[in-house]
Amino acid sequence: MQNFLQILVSGISVGMIYGVIAFGYQLTFSTSKTLNFGQGEALTLGALVGLTAVSVLIGFSFGNLWAYLLALPIVFVFGMMQGTVVEWLGVRQAIRTKSEAGWIMATIALGIIFKNMAEHIWGKDPLKFPSPVSEVPLNFWGVKVRLMEIIIVLGALAMMLGVELFNRRSIYGKAVVATANDRDAAGLMGINTSQVITFSYALSSLSAALAGVLIAPITLTGANMGAALGLKAFAVAIIGGLSSGLGVVVGGLILGITESLTGFYFDTGYKDVPGLILLLLVLSFKPAGLFGKTAIKKV
Amino acid sequence: MMLKSRLAGAAMAALLSTAAMAQSGPIKIGLSGPMTGGSASMGVSMRDGAKLALAEVNKAGGVLGRQVQFVERDDEGKNELGVQIAQELINKEQVIATVGFINTGVALAAQRFYEEAEIPVINNVATGTIVTRQFLPPEYKFNYIFRTSANDSIQSAMVAEAVKKAGYTKPAIIADSTNYGQLGRADLEKALTERGLKTVAVEKFNIGDTDMTAQALRAKDAGADVVLTYAIGPELAQTVNAVVKLGWKVPVMGSWTLSMASFIDAAGANSEGVLMPQTFIQVPSTPKRKSFIEAYQAAYKVDRIPSPVSAAQGYDSILLLTAAIEQANSTDGTKIRAALENLNNKIDGVVTNYDHPFTATDHEAITSNIPVLGTVKGGRVVPANPADVEGADALRLKPKA
Repeated sequence: MQNFLQILVSGISVGMIYGVIAFGYQLTFSTSKTLNFGQGEALTLGALVGLTAVSVLIGFSFGNLWAYLLALPIVFVFGMMQGTVVEWLGVRQAIRTKSEAGWIMATIALGIIFKNMAEHIWGKDPLKFPSPVSEVPLNFWGVKVRLMEIIIVLGALAMMLGVELFNRRSIYGKAVVATANDRDAAGLMGINTSQVITFSYALSSLSAALAGVLIAPITLTGANMGAALGLKAFAVAIIGGLSSGLGVVVGGLILGITESLTGFYFDTGYKDVPGLILLLLVLSFKPAGLFGKTAIKKV
Repeated sequence: MMLKSRLAGAAMAALLSTAAMAQSGPIKIGLSGPMTGGSASMGVSMRDGAKLALAEVNKAGGVLGRQVQFVERDDEGKNELGVQIAQELINKEQVIATVGFINTGVALAAQRFYEEAEIPVINNVATGTIVTRQFLPPEYKFNYIFRTSANDSIQSAMVAEAVKKAGYTKPAIIADSTNYGQLGRADLEKALTERGLKTVAVEKFNIGDTDMTAQALRAKDAGADVVLTYAIGPELAQTVNAVVKLGWKVPVMGSWTLSMASFIDAAGANSEGVLMPQTFIQVPSTPKRKSFIEAYQAAYKVDRIPSPVSAAQGYDSILLLTAAIEQANSTDGTKIRAALENLNNKIDGVVTNYDHPFTATDHEAITSNIPVLGTVKGGRVVPANPADVEGADALRLKPKA
C-alpha cells in the first residue's frame, strides 16, 4: 500500500506537468483550431529564463524562495511575449490564407529555432535549477513527497483555475469564449478575433513556461528538456480531448499515473506502452478524446 | 562508345587532379562526437583534448611534412546522424582516418562505412565491448576499428569485483535503454554471475525521463544492498536523486559515466561517494598528466575538466594516430592500419605509455590493469584509493603479449 501511494504521488506530479503543457495546446486549439508544435521549446525557454532570473536574484542576496517567487512574473511576461512571436510569425499568415498545414511546419520550425537559440545562450549541458524549497522529502506515513512535487500540483491547478475564472468572469475572457464557440460570429459581433487568437497563443506559451519553472527544480534545465515532455503532452491532449480544459488535466493524470504504475508493477522497460495503447484506443473509439465534443465538419 | 570512353577518361582525369590536390594540402582527420545533448560533456572534452594533441603535432612540423586538420562533426549522440556524418567524412571530406564516437550506438551504426572504405577509426570514448569486434577476420579481411578507452567488459568486471570485495550480496542494476546501457547491463550481469552474485532487480529507463521513483522503489523493494548503474549524466542524477528521495541509504556504483560533470552538478550532494572505474583522474600524478592538465586549463579557461577521461583518451588517440601515419609514410588507410597494429615508437600518453598498444588481433589499447576506481568528493572525481595513483602505481602499463 505504501509503495502504491508512493508511485501514485510521482505519477500525479508528472501527470500534472503533462496536463499543464497540454492545457496550452487546448488554449490555442479552442480559439484558432491551430496548435503550437513548439510547446516543448516554450517550456524549455521558460525554465531557462527562470533559471537566469533566479540566479540573478540570488546574486542580489534574495533567498531561494523569494528569488523563485520574484522570477515568476518575469517568466510569465517572457512566456506571453514568446507566444505572441510564435503567433505573429508562424500562425497568423496561415490562418489568413486558410492554409491547412502551413502553421504546423511554421510552429515546428520556430520550435527548432528557439531550441538552437537556447543552446547558444545557455549552453548544451543540463543545468541545475536552485530549488526554492527544501529538497529533503516530507514523510507522510512512510510515503516520501518532495515539497516541490506538492507545489507542482498546486501551481498547475492555480494556473488552470485562473484561466477558467478569467474566461467566465471578465469581459475579455468572454471574448475568448465567444471566439472559441464561433469565430465568424464573434467577429461579426465586433470582437477582434485575431487579437483574441494572439492572446491565446501568449497564454499557451505562458502555461508551458510555468510548467518549465515548476518541473525544473526536480529535474534539470537544458535546451533538450522540453522535447520529450512536449510530445507526451501532445498524446495527453489527444487522450483528454483538445476541446476540453478539464479533459487535458484528467488526460495528463491518466498518462502520468499509468506510466508510473506500469513501471513499478509490471516492468520499467514497458513504462510508455500503456499510454500509447490508450492513445490508439481513444483514436479508434472516441477520436475527439475522452472529454472532447465530437464536431461534425461540414464540407 | 567512343563518346562514353572519352567521358570516362575526362572523369578519371578530374578524379586524379583532385587526388593530386589532396596530396599537397593539409591531412584531414575526421572527428565525430556529440557536442550537444546529454553526452555533450564527453564529446566536447574529447574534442578539446584531441585538439591539444593536434596543436602539439602541428607545432612540431605536422605529419609527413604536412599540417594535420580536423573535420569536426556533431553527431548529437544519434545513431542516424552518426551514419550520415560517416558518409560525409569518407566521401565528401575524404578523411584518411577518424577519431571519436562517444556513444556505443553511434559507433556500431557508423563504423561499417569506415570498414568498407578501409579507413581506420580510433574509438577514444565509446566503451561497448563489441565496438572493436564488429569486423573480425576471417569474416572480414582486416579490422579497421581501434580503441583507447576501457571497454565495458573491463569496467563491469571492476564494478563486480568492487561489489564482491565490499561484501554486498544483493546488487540491483538500473540502466538506460540505449545500446550503451543495455550492452553494459549484459556485461555487468555476466561479470556478477562469474563471481557468484545474482541481481535482485534489473530496471530500465529512457533518455529524457524525469522521474525514476518507480525504478528506485522496485530495487529497494527487492532488498538490494547496492545499486549499480549503466547510463549517462542527467539520467544518472535523476536515478540517484530518486534513491535519496525514498530515504534509502544505499551505496551506488557504476560505469565510468558517474564521473560526468552533468551528473555531479545535477545530483549535488547526492553524488558524493559513488564509485566508478576511471582511466584518468584529474590528478597530476605523472609529469605528462601534469602538463596535460595545465595545458587544458590554460587553453579552455576551466578549473575542472568536464570529462577528464574523455579529454585524456581523446588526446592519446591523436598521438597514436599521427605516429601511425608517420610510420606508414602514407595516407593510405590500409598502411595506417598496418602501422597501428605494429607501432614501433614508444609513445608517452596521458592515460598510460604505449608500447605496441595494438596488434593484428588485439585492437584494445587499455587492459584491465590500467583503470582505477574513482569516487566523487567535494564535487570532483578523486581516486577512491589514493595509493592507486601514487608512486609506481601511477603509471600502469599494458602487459606484453
